[in-house]
Amino acid sequence: MSLFKNVRKTGLAMATLFAVVTIFAAPEAFAAGDAKKGEAIYQKRCWWCHGKKGAADGPATTFLIPPPRDFTLGMYKYKSSDPKVEIPRDEDLFKVITNGMPGTGMPAWNDILTEQDRWDVVAYVKSLTDMFGKTANPPQIDVSKKIKSSAESIELGKKAFQTAKCFECHGQVGKGDLTKKLKEDSGIRVWPRNLTKPWTFRGGYTAEDIFARVSNGIPNTPMPSFAADTTSSGKLSVEDRWHVVNYVMSLAEPTSKTVDGQTVVKGFQRDVMPKDENDAVWNETASTAYFLAPQIIQPERFFTPANDLIKVKALYNDKEIAFLLEWDDRTKSIPGDPTAELIAWDTISPDQVAIQTPVVIPSGSEKPYFGHGDAAHPVAMMAWNSGTTTAPAAGMTMIYSGSGKRTPGDAAAAGFTSSGTYKDGTWKVMMKRKLVTANKDKDTQFEVGRFIPIAFANWDGSNGEKGSKHTMTSWAWLLLQPPTGKEVYLVPLLVLVLLAGGQLAAAAYLKKNRK
Amino acid sequence: MHFLKPIIGVFVAYLLIKIGVPFLGSLSHPGTWPVVPTAVMKMYLFFIIAGAFLASTFSDEGYNGLVGPIVDLYSNPSKATLRLCAISAVSLLGCWVSYQYVKPSFEAPVELRSVHPAPPSSANMWGKTFELQTLKNPLREDKANFAKNVEEGGIVYYKNCFYCHGDKQDGKGHFYQAFNPIPANFVDVGTIAMLTESFVFWRIGTGGPGLPGEGAPWATAMPVWHTMISEEEAWKAVMFIYEQSGNKPRVTATVAEKK
Repeated sequence: MSLFKNVRKTGLAMATLFAVVTIFAAPEAFAAGDAKKGEAIYQKRCWWCHGKKGAADGPATTFLIPPPRDFTLGMYKYKSSDPKVEIPRDEDLFKVITNGMPGTGMPAWNDILTEQDRWDVVAYVKSLTDMFGKTANPPQIDVSKKIKSSAESIELGKKAFQTAKCFECHGQVGKGDLTKKLKEDSGIRVWPRNLTKPWTFRGGYTAEDIFARVSNGIPNTPMPSFAADTTSSGKLSVEDRWHVVNYVMSLAEPTSKTVDGQTVVKGFQRDVMPKDENDAVWNETASTAYFLAPQIIQPERFFTPANDLIKVKALYNDKEIAFLLEWDDRTKSIPGDPTAELIAWDTISPDQVAIQTPVVIPSGSEKPYFGHGDAAHPVAMMAWNSGTTTAPAAGMTMIYSGSGKRTPGDAAAAGFTSSGTYKDGTWKVMMKRKLVTANKDKDTQFEVGRFIPIAFANWDGSNGEKGSKHTMTSWAWLLLQPPTGKEVYLVPLLVLVLLAGGQLAAAAYLKKNRK
Repeated sequence: MHFLKPIIGVFVAYLLIKIGVPFLGSLSHPGTWPVVPTAVMKMYLFFIIAGAFLASTFSDEGYNGLVGPIVDLYSNPSKATLRLCAISAVSLLGCWVSYQYVKPSFEAPVELRSVHPAPPSSANMWGKTFELQTLKNPLREDKANFAKNVEEGGIVYYKNCFYCHGDKQDGKGHFYQAFNPIPANFVDVGTIAMLTESFVFWRIGTGGPGLPGEGAPWATAMPVWHTMISEEEAWKAVMFIYEQSGNKPRVTATVAEKK
């Protein structure tokens, strides 16, 4: 027993020690990073993107949008220090290293670098510029006047969002569908954040994070500081800024997020097929979200996408199948259109979207090559483009038997139709087709109850995307869910009746024979 | 009391398996909670319930103690309300259990990843034939330029691979979510740590399309790199991923003997 007692004692002592250390050694103690040690970590882990001397000139730099930070300038985008102070807090740098920056190439390092390691890197990174000088770590912006979210506060925030003209860049419903050309002070193009996807906010998405962003702006970008005590032209009071925070947080759209392991788009049975992409029936249909990655596996490789997600819905009846493809796109790319040309940086191409399925649904688990199949395993493609000022939006079908090996499909015979609408930063495109067609070697024959491989591709024409430059998914699954059979209800009902009847009979028998 | 004893016994046994076993596991492997698989739990419970029933009905007294209250519940005129509740509860439970069995479930087919496909004896890459059994990394011999070669491999990695395989070699580069299954994790002891450099070299060179047909499905988006980077760059990238992930390549007997 004494052994156990000792073990317990030691355990208790360790736990107490741990608690004490955690409480008293919190950030301030660790904040004294060792720049020398930080340099060693930096030269192993960080320079690939940020450059050997921190000048953002590593081998990966030019492949990343947004580009990695140039530490020699000492200018940081995400600061939680008081708006009157130019430099960020040490905690801001520490947070970026710890949590990474969602939606960028910067990963969260907290799993392989210890807390001390990360403070060491902060110390080294700070030493790469003279911006910090001998200045003490600035105080955090005052967050003590935080206003709890409520319908009222959200409504006030919505008003302030209009007064401060946030919509000019972030769009009327927050999708980042900008109305003017935006660039950073360095001259590079910058995209406004899509406020409906807070998990892509680079600097975090707690109320305090967003308050700091609205108050401080994002230095050297078109995002101004809205703090009333700065010289910024559009200003908001502290209260209004908190209301805006609450409004922004209310815009989050959870269905615009991928769910780990969710790879199936379910097709539901409907007697009447939807008329078009705006049919109310689609609002009642569940969607599956897919992450879009740029095409980086064959020339011409593309590294700098603008769109990151596509949501897919499917409905079918005994004759037809209809898909709704929905994606947030900051730009409606119609070549020649004055509004589109106003915010264009380069030649615009139409926006496009495509669905790929195997011509023959594989019976085993082997699927065609996801990049356009091959000669033995061709794939069918249904595509739509937003058109130009001279050519209307149009859909088409085609067959690929390997990369670049394309033959046109027979869209008319397949009963293929398509249409699209762009509104407030979102494209909705519907594609409809016959469930089965006469061209068995050209069109996928959709079957109810079978897992059918399906993949998607997307082109943002205002982001230089055309041809092989586009975003895509790898194979996911389509399942046309068979209607629920009667036995699903009958069997449990039968069990219920039998059990109840049996018990009642038993009770009657026992009562009769009760002594 | 006879009636309650076996029920309490079964319940305690259930708790022991449900919470006790994982708790013991968490002591030897802190931070984990190794639950007992449902199938095993079902088997245990079957024997525990059967055992409890046998044990408590072994004597006449025990039998009456167990069955008596049930008979009483179903026949006692003064327990009509309780009886109705019991009958409803049992019937509804049966209804629910049978629904769980017949309700349609649509689980996506599992995307199996075969990390170590059997390599072919030779592979055609960069316009020539490589004998994979005897192939070794020509740059390994060059001890003087090791650091330089690793760094150049890093540059290849960061211009080509890091977008999927990640800054931390964990298979979670910033585009990884578009792939199912996700890109290979080089830090994991089950990937490159178990392989020879020539194997990794072959996987880079011919990518997904180069995988042998007999082991399909190969749900992989790995490109055919020999069309995009040079042979030397591929060897350097191999050296970099081993060095940066802290793994050592395996050396096969054939390669070792050749030394």
